[in-house]
Amino acid sequence: MTSPDYRLNSLSPVTRHSSPLKIAVYWTGSCGGCDVSFLELGPALLEVLSKVEIVFWPALADAKRKDLENLPPRSIDVTLVNGVIRTTENEEMVEILREKSRFLGAYGSCAHLGGVPALANQTNGVVEFVFGPGYRPSPPPGGEAEDAPPSLLPQALPLEEVVPVDFVVPGCPPPAPLIAQFFERAISGEIEPGQVFAKDKALCEECPRIREERKLTRIVRPHEVQPDPEKCLLDQGIICLGPVTRGGCEAACPKAGMPCTGCLGPTPKAGDPALAMISALASLVRAGEEGEAAFPEEDRILDGLVDPIGTLYKYAFAKYGLSLKKLARRREEVRA
Amino acid sequence: MSEFEPRIVAFLCRWCASAGADLAGTNRLQYPPNAVPIRVNCSGRVEPQWVVEALKSGADGVLIGGCHPGDCHYVAGNYKTRRRIYLLRKVLAEMGIEPERVRLEWISATEGARFAQVMQEFVQELKKLGPIGVVRDKGGVTGGGKENQAWSVDMPGTKGVEA
Repeated sequence: MTSPDYRLNSLSPVTRHSSPLKIAVYWTGSCGGCDVSFLELGPALLEVLSKVEIVFWPALADAKRKDLENLPPRSIDVTLVNGVIRTTENEEMVEILREKSRFLGAYGSCAHLGGVPALANQTNGVVEFVFGPGYRPSPPPGGEAEDAPPSLLPQALPLEEVVPVDFVVPGCPPPAPLIAQFFERAISGEIEPGQVFAKDKALCEECPRIREERKLTRIVRPHEVQPDPEKCLLDQGIICLGPVTRGGCEAACPKAGMPCTGCLGPTPKAGDPALAMISALASLVRAGEEGEAAFPEEDRILDGLVDPIGTLYKYAFAKYGLSLKKLARRREEVRA
Repeated sequence: MSEFEPRIVAFLCRWCASAGADLAGTNRLQYPPNAVPIRVNCSGRVEPQWVVEALKSGADGVLIGGCHPGDCHYVAGNYKTRRRIYLLRKVLAEMGIEPERVRLEWISATEGARFAQVMQEFVQELKKLGPIGVVRDKGGVTGGGKENQAWSVDMPGTKGVEA
């Protein structure tokens, strides 16, 4: 998918040192939080800004689509795309960006895994049913045809479903240490193709909370309890996705008393975060002595997980949730 | 057109369900040949990932056969798998896959006839459901909780649409 040619290292040393790194940042279907997240770098941001040249960043600087189209191919060193691919315009823009960039990365959970907006994929009729009456892809009164809003795609897609992605800066939004790590690597020209700027090890490894003998006797939602500040949240019955999620954020949420919701994406070992978490949860649930007599009570505890998709697939539904398209694609792979 | 023949992947535990299936064979019991059996050491070894992988790869249903409660060779493997499948079926239902496609049965080593009966029932049920697909309610937001709520294709005023 990625040729080694995309590497920043392929710039001649002279170019690398004499001209700043050309970057572009683009948003597709996103909340804008990713664009703001760069401020988290604090004073380091000034250092970063002195070493990069912003070629295209609609949230910051005025540049139009035609300016981008006029750039020569592969003239942007690194492009960060944040947001889910939701409209035909999103699709077209990332295709242009792919052509104009040496390196193109998914920045944030939406571009990486689909993110929260992709939970809309739970309903297929969302386009007609919700937006049908109000959202009309036609030009505004007196406008030209090209002013018409773009059409929505039938499903929200992660970036990798549309164009090849060279690297990922995950998170919702990406935490400062990971952004810093990304810029360090990008400026020194050391991004590895396929690199994910987070740890391969689970979040639990960096969580200071204390794990005891693990038995779940109830499942509660975060707002229903005042969690113990020292103990593991999962032990207290709060669904924390730490065991299946990449580390790298220094366990920011669990430290603040909120469970991990999985924004850095699943560890390579976990694969599908929801299925891995089902395994873990089911192993932990206990209603007294295990056995047939405990079945109804165990089911009642498991029913405490009221929104399995929204909880276990909060960010990863577009990438891992099943769809007919995915079933068909996988079947063809198996036949081949 | 010939009748739809569902494809089934059956994860059978070595100590009970797999032995039960063998017994059905040695007793020459007749049952539909739709399942591909995969012997695992314990039903507790069956990961939700395997079940979903089977469904993705073209299986119309997945059967998990384990020991009766209290009989697990490894004491509590079947209890774990029961809780896993319970949760997995909830998630599948919300994704638009009929939870009936994943079936957990207790079959002991002496219950050859039971294995044959389970296979017949399961094949019948899958024939009724038809080939696997993803059906989601149009526009309705699937509530959490009970399977039948989430699985709302027949809800009045909504029509199931294919993904």
